[in-house]
Order: sequence, then structure tokens, then C-alpha cells
Amino acid sequence: MLWFVPVLLLLLIVTLYPTLFVVWMSFQKTRYYDLLGFVGLANYLSALTSRAFWETTYTSLVYMAGSLVLSLGLGVVAALALNALGRSGVVLRVLTLVPWTLSMAVVGTIWLWLFNPAYGPISYTMREVGLSPGLMLGDPDLALWLVILVTSWWSFPYSMVIVTAAIQSIPRELYEAVSIDGGNWRAKLRYVTWPHLIPTLGSTALTLGILYLTLITLLIVLTGGGPLGATTTLSFEVFRGTVQAIDIGPTAVWSIAILLANIGLGVLYMRLTGRVTG
Amino acid sequence: MMPMRAGNASLYNRGMLLVLAALVVGSALGPMLWAISTSLKNEVNAVSAVPSLIPSPATLSNYLSVFRHKTFGIELLNSIVYAAGAVAIALAVGIPAGYVASRYAFPGKRTIMLIILATSMVPGVALLVPTFYLLDHLGLLNNRFVLIVILASRIAPQTVWFMQNFIDAVPVEIDEAAHIDGASRWQTLTKLVLPLIRPGIAAVAVIGAITTWNDYITIAVFAPETTKRTLQVALVNQVFDAVGISWSFTMAFAIVASLPVILMFLLVQKWFIAGLTAGAVKG
Repeated sequence: MLWFVPVLLLLLIVTLYPTLFVVWMSFQKTRYYDLLGFVGLANYLSALTSRAFWETTYTSLVYMAGSLVLSLGLGVVAALALNALGRSGVVLRVLTLVPWTLSMAVVGTIWLWLFNPAYGPISYTMREVGLSPGLMLGDPDLALWLVILVTSWWSFPYSMVIVTAAIQSIPRELYEAVSIDGGNWRAKLRYVTWPHLIPTLGSTALTLGILYLTLITLLIVLTGGGPLGATTTLSFEVFRGTVQAIDIGPTAVWSIAILLANIGLGVLYMRLTGRVTG
Repeated sequence: MMPMRAGNASLYNRGMLLVLAALVVGSALGPMLWAISTSLKNEVNAVSAVPSLIPSPATLSNYLSVFRHKTFGIELLNSIVYAAGAVAIALAVGIPAGYVASRYAFPGKRTIMLIILATSMVPGVALLVPTFYLLDHLGLLNNRFVLIVILASRIAPQTVWFMQNFIDAVPVEIDEAAHIDGASRWQTLTKLVLPLIRPGIAAVAVIGAITTWNDYITIAVFAPETTKRTLQVALVNQVFDAVGISWSFTMAFAIVASLPVILMFLLVQKWFIAGLTAGAVKG
């Protein structure tokens, strides 16, 4: 159909062609950005046998898992609390959603200031209660957890909105049935709300998982992948490889690893939500 | 009237609920309040040994410095031009596609929709290396139009789906009546269908504009030139310049860079939330 031509042209040129091109690049011997000829799977072998790749993959997984647990947990609590408030909860929900609209650059900058070891309110409070704040984001043992905290602050409102929609789609009769049987709010939560939330939590985890996997800017601002590589994820490493441009072949392989993981999570999402196309 | 039968237990539950809600809203807004507070302090008070939430004395001088900063104008202009351009292109290609996707069945349609879906699964990070290579070889780095097209391609798939959904909700009888009256397909779309889905178009435009406005990585990597950068890129560069950083100025800058987004969000929050939840809840 002719009316599809513009959007297809746009996506073929700007998205699909570079996607195929990065696959081709990954089979090339490279120096800086120069392609020096076909080398088969050499880049893949060197990437997959390098310590850095697996350490970075591990950091990515910890980062994704930690952020997911915190974001979904806070999201469920926020959704339940604000939903139970009724009408006044609607306004509060809109206010709570504001962090989600902020850019990663802004979120990172605000938290960099909050975590400032010398003048930030968090390190000040820690000193007041007798804790040693240390270097905060500069502490290799602490940095990843603080980044997870920031990521969750930014994204739990998203979980909250999705979970709220799921809660509101539960038929009232089910709660009434529990009431008639003498069940309290705990029973309602356990036997009605929770079973209805599970599939939604699954699909939300996949959406957010993709987001966390491919996120870069927040890491650039908060830690720059450091200290000592403690917050270097796969995507951050691809960013660094792109701008440093020392040897682009291995970076192409890392890009493809992220691409495949993203497609895997995306297909899982389609299966789970039953979203059909065409 | 309050329900009179509220016993001690339910009063207690209500109290707990309010505390919990206050914690939720407070934790979401607290960091932003701190940023606003810092932006209203002078440079000395911002880094006092005992931080305080209330700025005293409060000053707007940081905001004045932001507006007077010599590159602020071009950065603001770039942010606006990129966001408006990307949204315009996404709508221009997304509306016709969404209309046909909604109204017609034809061979190959499934394949086309699958291509659109597949491209939406390619993350921007996987495209950094090849796109940089291609733009570099074509001499297209630091090109405003190229940036706009790239940004548009990121929001194009969702634009098609949203348009398809909105047009699905318009009765097809309207199209049929127009067709009998001799209207062309283009006239039917522009004169009859589009006016009916105007709020939807506005929502898609705002969501796309927020995404584009907030982008850092596309601009920073493909347009390293200072005159091509946006407010977001300028903000991050201030943070990189850690030694010379003035936190009160930087917070004012971050707030100014966020205000358009927050205003747009509040304007269409109902649609924004509907957009987030579309397809995410399994009934």
C-alpha cells in the first residue's frame, strides 16, 4: 500500500539498514573506525572469551534485577495506597508520575547533587545519625546500589500507573464475594488483587527490563561507568566504545548482544500480552 | 457524610494508609523539591555545611543567569526545533500508515506491520556504532536535519499504532458515506477522520515531544558540535565540568530544561497515562 511507503522508508533507512550494517561490521577486522576486511567470527570469539564481557554482563544483570525488584515493589505499594485513597489518590498519582517525565540527564544531575559527599542532604543526614557516608557514588562497593536506587526512583511511577490500571480492571464482585465470606482486606489482597496482578507484573518487568538493559545517559551522568568499572553495563560499554573508537569491531559484537537480548525480551512481551499485529 | 460505623480498626487502617500515601508522594517529590530549593539559593548557601530545605535568602539570580547564559538561546532553540521536527515527521508518516492499517486489509499488510514491530525492538544503543560510522562516511555528522530524522524514526512505530487505535474508534460508516458522496480517500482522512481524533493526535504529539526533548545520547553522539547541542546535552556537559560547577546554577538549569516537559505532561496527563497503560494490562 502506497500510504505505508513513507514510514517504511524512514524505518528501513534509519533503523533496519544500520541494524544489518552492525552485523556486517561485527565480522570485520577493524582499527578505529576503519573496516579492514572479513575475519569471520574472530570478534565474537574474542568478545565471548574476554573477562570484561562477562563481568559487564553480570553488572547489567545485577543492575536490571535490582532495579526491577525495587521499581516493581515500590510501584505496587504506591498503586495500592493511592488507589485505596479514592478521588484524592488521582491527583497524588499525577504528582507521583512527574519523575517519570524527567529526562535521564535531569534525574542524574539532581541525584548527583543529593548524593554529594560533602554538601548533599543525604550524606549530611547520614553523618547526623552517626553513619559514615564515605564517597557515595565514588565508592566501588556502593555505587551500583545507589544507581539502582536512582533508577527505581525514576521508574517506579511507571510501575505504579500500570499496576493501578490492572487493579482498576478487577471486577468489584470478586471483592464483594470475599466480604460476604467474611474476609478482611488482607484476604482480598491475597486472593483477588494479587492473582490479578501477576501477569501485569510480568509484562511490566519485561518493558522495564528492556529499558534498564539499554539505558546509558543515567550512568554517564551519575558514575561514568565507574568507580573502577563498578557500574559499567553492556550498554554503557557500547557508548564508550562508540565515542572512544579505538577498535570498533568488538563494540559491534557487544551491540549485537544487546540487540538479541532486547529482541528476546520483546518477543517474550508479545507472547505474554498476546498483542497481535496486522 | 463520613461512614459512622468506622471502628478503631478501620480508623487505624485509614491512618496507616495516609502515612503510606504521604511516603509515596514525598519520596517522588522530595528530590525535586530539594533541586528547586537549591536553585533558589545563592552559590554560598547552596554548599553550606548544614543544608537546609528553605532557601534564606531566596534569590532568582540563578534563573536570570541561566536565561542570560550566552549559549542558552541556541540550546533552547535546538531543543524546540528537534522535538517539533521529529514529531512533525512522525505524524506525517504515521497518520497515513495508521489510517490504512485501520481501514484496509491487503496482502503483505501483516509483513509490513511486523517490520514496524521489529524496528521498534531495535534499541538505540545497538544503532550507535553503525549509525556513527555511516554518518561519518557520508559527512552527515552535526547535521540538524539528520538528527531530526533519527529522532523521528524512534517515535514513528508508536505513532503508527496509536493512530491505528484512534482511527479504529471512528465508525467506518463515516468513511463509507464520504466515499458515496465522492470524497477521495485523502479528503476523507483529512476533512472527516482527523478532526474527530484531534485530542488523540495532540496526545501522541506531546508524548513524542517529551521523548525527543529528553534525548541526550542521539544528540551527544551524532552532533558533538557545540552549536548543535540541546539543553539536555548542555546540562550533562556542566556536570562533566565538575570543578567549575555551581550547583545552584545547575539545578536552575535542570529545572528550566524540565519545565516544558512537566507542563506538557500536566496538560495531557490523562492521555499520557492512557498511552502508558495501552496494551500493558492483561485483562
